[in-house]
Amino acid sequence: MKNNKIKSIIQAFFTDLLFWIYLWGCFLYLINSWFEINLKTSFVIIAGLIFTIFFLTAGISLGRKIFVPTKFTNIRWNKTFWGWSIIVVLAVTFIVGWKLVEVNPYKFFTQFKNAGGIMSGIFNPNLDILIMSLTALAETIYLALLATLFAIPIAFVLSFFAARNLMPKTILGNAVYVIIRSIATLFRSIEAIVWAIIFSVWVGIGPFAGMLALMVHSIASLTKLYSEQIENIDTGPVEAIKATGATTLQVWIFAVIPQIISPYLAFTIYRWDINVRMATIVGFVGGGGIGLMLLQQQQLLRWHNVGLIIWLIAAVVWIMDMTSAKVREKLVEM
Amino acid sequence: MKNIIEIKNLHKVYARGTHALKGINLNVKEGEFCILLGLSGSGKSTLLRCMNKLIDSTSGEIRICDEDVVSALGNNLRRIRRQIGMIFQQFNLIKNLSALTNVLTGKLGYVSLGHSIMFTQHKDDVNIARDNLKRVGLLDFANKKVKNLSGGQQQRVAIARALMQNPKLILADEPVASLDPATADSVMKYLGELNKKDNMTVICSLHFLSLARKYGTRVVALKDGEIVFEGSPKEIDEKKFQEIYGEDAEEVEIK
Ligand SMILES: Nc1ncnc2c1ncn2[C@@H]1O[C@H](COP(=O)(O)OP(=O)(O)OP(=O)(O)O)[C@@H](O)[C@H]1O
Ligand SMILES: [Mg+2]
Repeated sequence: MKNNKIKSIIQAFFTDLLFWIYLWGCFLYLINSWFEINLKTSFVIIAGLIFTIFFLTAGISLGRKIFVPTKFTNIRWNKTFWGWSIIVVLAVTFIVGWKLVEVNPYKFFTQFKNAGGIMSGIFNPNLDILIMSLTALAETIYLALLATLFAIPIAFVLSFFAARNLMPKTILGNAVYVIIRSIATLFRSIEAIVWAIIFSVWVGIGPFAGMLALMVHSIASLTKLYSEQIENIDTGPVEAIKATGATTLQVWIFAVIPQIISPYLAFTIYRWDINVRMATIVGFVGGGGIGLMLLQQQQLLRWHNVGLIIWLIAAVVWIMDMTSAKVREKLVEM
Repeated sequence: MKNIIEIKNLHKVYARGTHALKGINLNVKEGEFCILLGLSGSGKSTLLRCMNKLIDSTSGEIRICDEDVVSALGNNLRRIRRQIGMIFQQFNLIKNLSALTNVLTGKLGYVSLGHSIMFTQHKDDVNIARDNLKRVGLLDFANKKVKNLSGGQQQRVAIARALMQNPKLILADEPVASLDPATADSVMKYLGELNKKDNMTVICSLHFLSLARKYGTRVVALKDGEIVFEGSPKEIDEKKFQEIYGEDAEEVEIK
């Protein structure tokens, strides 16, 4: 009981501290950029601490409201101190955001003619480079396809070891599960574009680097999707097949795989769909294909070429989207 | 007659601390049709799953066909399990495979990995599987996906799968609890036949006393993880019944 009270006061203290430091930090940023006065950062921390201690002991702060329950709860929120603190912090956040993002409606409405080149390019694509662009596009589609194909068997095998319900509840089983899951999560959180930068240095700029980037990202995310699918299977058949005297591998083949095969296919096709989209982006940073070509034409300001490339990319994404949705629909019915 | 099952002072404590079995002592002779009775949560499923080591027991001894189950591992465990057919309340078939393939999986304990992957190529296995399907009256459904069969038909496929193991012992965990009364009786008939004609020992948990009287040669009643009654089905009168199921319980007839 007493421990709980101390715990909630500590939680309230840190919430308030975070709140006041953030608020003073925002003020400091605004004052520095508007009045060109240089206030010290240490000011933020000291002011934050003082305000935290004052309002926490006064018993009206936000942290207190969240973590320390009080009896007087039917005061309307706009008559309370914590209610106003939320409003102030939202307002200040909006102003700081506007400033940081350099929002400028004036530019938006008056400088449309700057985009004239690319607009006219889109409506008058240069068909002379069609063959060349199609070649680059094929590169992109095939690199996405290969990245998916290479990822499937690797993710397939890994997913069995990343499924909690299949791994034995021993220290080794647990370790394997935790290691594979964490690596997959880590690799997935690194965007494909970052992998492309790494691989374009490693194996040189070109589609191979793009394929490796997408492959690593696909393995990580398919492993996660696949293994979650395994964790959701009906355990009844697993138990029944075990009871016949089947070996572990036989249990996997007869009780697990038949249950996961159609969701696996659906995920994989979805992944290929994503990979085709990402393949263009990855091309921008050295992954080859149509993305690289788009970057080069844009830097040369050849807007009519850029226009054609944009149309081709849109067409491919549209077709992929349609077919993958159709195929997945069929798989769900299976 | 020889004992096919010998259980001594068996305890099971689940990871979260539930003491599900509290010192079970039970011998079952070859050829018996033993009915397990007891309220929900009394430990029937736990006891049945300990017998083929689907779950590990906490302490005590289990011997089946003179082999120690508790310490069995790997190939030994496989040899023990394949002589024990198991039937479940939820049938536990692989729903998007055909009835025939499901029956063939009963053979998994006897064959190598390579053999089992090519199951449908082995004429003799397929023929035995078809014979077993015929026995439960489902030969016409051999190539149908199991998910398109009715509950009663699915349970019969599950019986055919157990037959594929050529078992000495059948463990049935509420095999008819999700079926209507008429279908329930027809499924129980097949179990009764295996017991009488094929001389298989059956241990079957049930909730209906009428079925217990009709098919059972012996009744074992569990309450809170302990055996509270053991004897012939005929001995269970209203008083005994209330001892097992509690004061307010009333017998429901199933014809
Ligand atoms: N996997 C498990 N983990 C923890 N406790 C469990 C588990 N399975 C069963 N129990 C507990 O063990 C006790 C016995 O359960 P058991 O399933 O053996 O009963 P039962 O007689 O088969 O009941 P029912 O008629 O509902 O099937 C119950 O208290 C149950 O909550
Ligand atoms: Mg049960």
